[in-house]
Amino acid sequence: MTQSLLFLVVGVCLWVIGLYGLLRVRHVIRRLIAVNIMGGGAFTVMVAIAVRTDPVDPVFQALVVTGLVVAVSATAFALRLASAEAHCTRRRESRP
Amino acid sequence: MAPEWTQLLPVAVVLSSLVPGLLIFTLREHQVGLRTALNLGGVLLKLLLVGLMLWGVSQGLSFRFALPFIPGGELVLQGDALSLQFVALSSILWAATTLYAIGYLEGAPLRSRFFGYFSLCVSATVGLALAGNLVTFLLFYELLTLATFPLVVHRGTPEALRAGRMYLAYTLGGGALVLMGAALLHLLAGSPDFTPGGYLAPLVDDNRAGLTLAFALLIAGLGVKAALIPLHSWLPKAMVAPAPVSALLHAVAVVKAGAFGIVRVVYDVFGVEPVALLQLNEPLLWLAAATIIYGSLKALQQREIKKRLAFSTVSQVSYITLGVALLGPIGAIGALVHLVHQGLMKITLFFCAGNFAETLHVHRIREMDGIGRRMPLTMAAFTVGALGMMGVPPIAGFISKWYLGLGALETEYYWVLGVLVASGLLNAAYFLPMVYRGWFAPPPEHWPEDTGLGGGRGGIRETHWMLLWPTLFTAALALLAGILASTGISPLAWAELIVAREFES
Amino acid sequence: MTLALMSLLLPLASALVLLVLRARSPVLMILATLGSLIAAAGALYQVVDGGEQLLALGGWEPPLGIRFRLTPLSGLLLVFTALIHLLVAFYAAASRHSQTRHTDYWPLSGLLHASLVALWLSNDLFNWYVTLELLGLVAVALVTLAGPKAYRAAMRYLILSLVASLFYLLGVALLYGRYGVLDVALLASLTEADATTHTALLLMTLGLMLKAALWPLHLWLPPAHAGAPTAVSALLSALVVKGPLFILWLIWSEIAPPALARDMGFIMALAGVAALLSGGWSAMRTPYIKTLVAYSTVAQLGYALMALGLLLYWELPELHVALWLFVLSHGLAKVSMFLAAGEMQATLGSKRISALTGATQTMPVAMFAFAVAGGSLIGLPPSGGFLAKWLLLQPLFAEPANWFWAFAVLLGTLASAVYVFRVVALAFDRAKPTRPDFDPHVLAQWLALIPALLVWGMALVSQPLILWLTGVTH
Repeated sequence: MTQSLLFLVVGVCLWVIGLYGLLRVRHVIRRLIAVNIMGGGAFTVMVAIAVRTDPVDPVFQALVVTGLVVAVSATAFALRLASAEAHCTRRRESRP
Repeated sequence: MAPEWTQLLPVAVVLSSLVPGLLIFTLREHQVGLRTALNLGGVLLKLLLVGLMLWGVSQGLSFRFALPFIPGGELVLQGDALSLQFVALSSILWAATTLYAIGYLEGAPLRSRFFGYFSLCVSATVGLALAGNLVTFLLFYELLTLATFPLVVHRGTPEALRAGRMYLAYTLGGGALVLMGAALLHLLAGSPDFTPGGYLAPLVDDNRAGLTLAFALLIAGLGVKAALIPLHSWLPKAMVAPAPVSALLHAVAVVKAGAFGIVRVVYDVFGVEPVALLQLNEPLLWLAAATIIYGSLKALQQREIKKRLAFSTVSQVSYITLGVALLGPIGAIGALVHLVHQGLMKITLFFCAGNFAETLHVHRIREMDGIGRRMPLTMAAFTVGALGMMGVPPIAGFISKWYLGLGALETEYYWVLGVLVASGLLNAAYFLPMVYRGWFAPPPEHWPEDTGLGGGRGGIRETHWMLLWPTLFTAALALLAGILASTGISPLAWAELIVAREFES
Repeated sequence: MTLALMSLLLPLASALVLLVLRARSPVLMILATLGSLIAAAGALYQVVDGGEQLLALGGWEPPLGIRFRLTPLSGLLLVFTALIHLLVAFYAAASRHSQTRHTDYWPLSGLLHASLVALWLSNDLFNWYVTLELLGLVAVALVTLAGPKAYRAAMRYLILSLVASLFYLLGVALLYGRYGVLDVALLASLTEADATTHTALLLMTLGLMLKAALWPLHLWLPPAHAGAPTAVSALLSALVVKGPLFILWLIWSEIAPPALARDMGFIMALAGVAALLSGGWSAMRTPYIKTLVAYSTVAQLGYALMALGLLLYWELPELHVALWLFVLSHGLAKVSMFLAAGEMQATLGSKRISALTGATQTMPVAMFAFAVAGGSLIGLPPSGGFLAKWLLLQPLFAEPANWFWAFAVLLGTLASAVYVFRVVALAFDRAKPTRPDFDPHVLAQWLALIPALLVWGMALVSQPLILWLTGVTH
């Protein structure tokens, strides 16, 4: 139970840190990292809640797995977009 | 079950100008013959249908068409005595104005668009006249705004656009207020058909605040189109529109829609007694009286013919509101008959102003010197209109003022008589100099620009026949409406019929 | 139910086929959308006739499986979504300037369609998370079709969308941890007014409001919607922002404890008023035509938010109808407006409103479409926008204490009239009309006009529609 509580607190802290970072930083990659920290926090909370029951709640695990897949795809897409944007910006700047 | 022809007739009256209007939009610019045929065909058909409806009503038939629209509020088109009066007026004046506009715009660009919107505008006016309840009225009231805007900005000059923006700002704002008022009343009582004597009387005791607010919203919203002060400023600005538009705007479509709406709201929605109980008529009376005087004073200051006529409209239309606000049967007759008479006289005046401008490029009052020798027929029509506005017997305007005065005596608002007299003097002060200049001042050596329309000589060929004949026609009507006032076919007789129905309940 | 599923699978399958074959043909997608529309209409007919239907995908029962629920309202939304997609697809295929012919627009719009259908059919909190995420990703991908200049707005949109999802996800986690169910119907019978529930609902609401661009979380919307290709802007404004609104509506009217819903309703209604005014103000001021249309979306969503807030605040079931009529009429009108605006912008060669000078002569049909659609946004009778506004106004007049809200609606109406007619009035300027860079494309203009005519055509079925919506929303 205490273990669950610990992870719960950790998860919420991660989520808040991620949010704070997102509000503070401007750089695209940093913002993406911040979003991922937020996501990590949310998933930690979910896992922490899941282990409170015995046996461990399978639905939550399924949700976290789905969530991770979504998060990974979204991040991949965001990175591709960020690199495309950076590419364009560089080209625009190199042009006289 | 197939609908009866009496149900379909009101729709047919609206469609008889709507369908030609939509068809005209699709025409190319150079298809003059087809466009003219559509225009005149629509005009004749509408006159025929309206005539049929008038005959039907006199035979005791009732015309009502209803479509489901929103819960508690159908879309109703119906021909009662009051709506028929307005429909007949608009159809006849539309006929005259269409002919006039065809002549006026000969060779001008974008005529398909113009006549398309022109027909839509009349359809909206007729729909508004036939509207059988507040929701339907609101619908056509807004459509009228939309259909007239392109006409006001038709010339597309910066000045026209400024006027158009101002027109929209006022009328859409007014429309929003009417929407609010109608929604408020719909909540309290639904939207039943207009009823002589109103349908809100049972609610007065419990909903004083609501009804007062609704009245204020509706009158403010309608007052924009009826050009009550302080909501009148758009009207003189809208003078930049082509002359037939100004004529229609002032005599029938927009300004009258507002005045007609006030008549409907006071008589057929609220009813005379609730308005009196809520003490709403006196503020309206004061407002109307102030507008009458203010409009006349402003008219006196104008140097341009159309501007002067515009402010005269501000003043004259408020006679209708004044008569309504008196809340007595005789005042009501004065108001209703003035609705028709003012239309006939004002459209004549605008036609004349258009003829002067088109034929000789005369725009300012100064330039009217001696114009009666060059264009005697137009000037004669102008004189009929001007004297009528002043209230000189036997022209139509005299009848309305007479009844308004009697109405004021009947309901013991003696100060209104003073307003009527003052306004009559002011009317004389701004119309007589124009008439004098036209007939008696020496003509200039050169007119600003003589376009030589028609034949270039005074008389029946003094200008394009399409400009001259409608002018003479409406002037004759204004004269006849006064001379024949005591017969059964006059606007006065019809107004008496309406009032008898309104006040019997 | 199989029909509803068909409505989902047809666009999904065609999108995947296009992706795999690397084909970018509009024909397949239009056919699929048409099929989807027919299937959706059939599903709507079934659900109206036979009542609500449930389907467990693949035979797996909840909580592990996904269960779709077809209600009359979701049936209507299926039809609406397919219809809008079809109308936009015709334009996207026909217009020379849509930036969408032979691009990734075709598979992506299919995916968007499928995600929306899945969203309308879902009925549990986690499914909605997935569909929201899908919707967000596809929408961002669609925005990037406009080329490099749209990347920045797209990136901003993406990050905000991800963050919003995480707000929503944390809320879902808390709710599930507290009650152990995700299904909305089950949750509705369980929820209590405690701190966890409140926190969870607030987190979800923040996320959803951000996604639906509801004031004050709307700032991402104008650049994203204005920067996207025209057909995409239309889809985003008409449909995508409505998805989160749908979820917001369900969680607050079904799950939330009444006392909290009342308080939140008041705040939402105030936010709605603020959206009306601030969106309207920005639309009045902006010099760019598509930005104007985008800000008008912000303002119009204010009506929906106001309806939602007031129905919670006063517990008035009538306002459900107003809310959904706003959604339907705004969707149709906004499609028309964006298509017309985009077509004019591309033909006249400038993003600025001033370029529309004299457009009534150069592009009469597109300008007419803009004005007609604008009429519905203003709420001129008898358009769909009028019906919605009328229903919203009714309860506002019930007591003098509520007149404040009616006044707010009046201000919103006036603001919308100003921003619509500032464009329309300019278009009548004959003095110096902007010469088109290309020959105006007549077919594309007519395609832009059709949705506007449909929204005015709603008047023909208004009474049955209102009565039917009254029946099915509560």
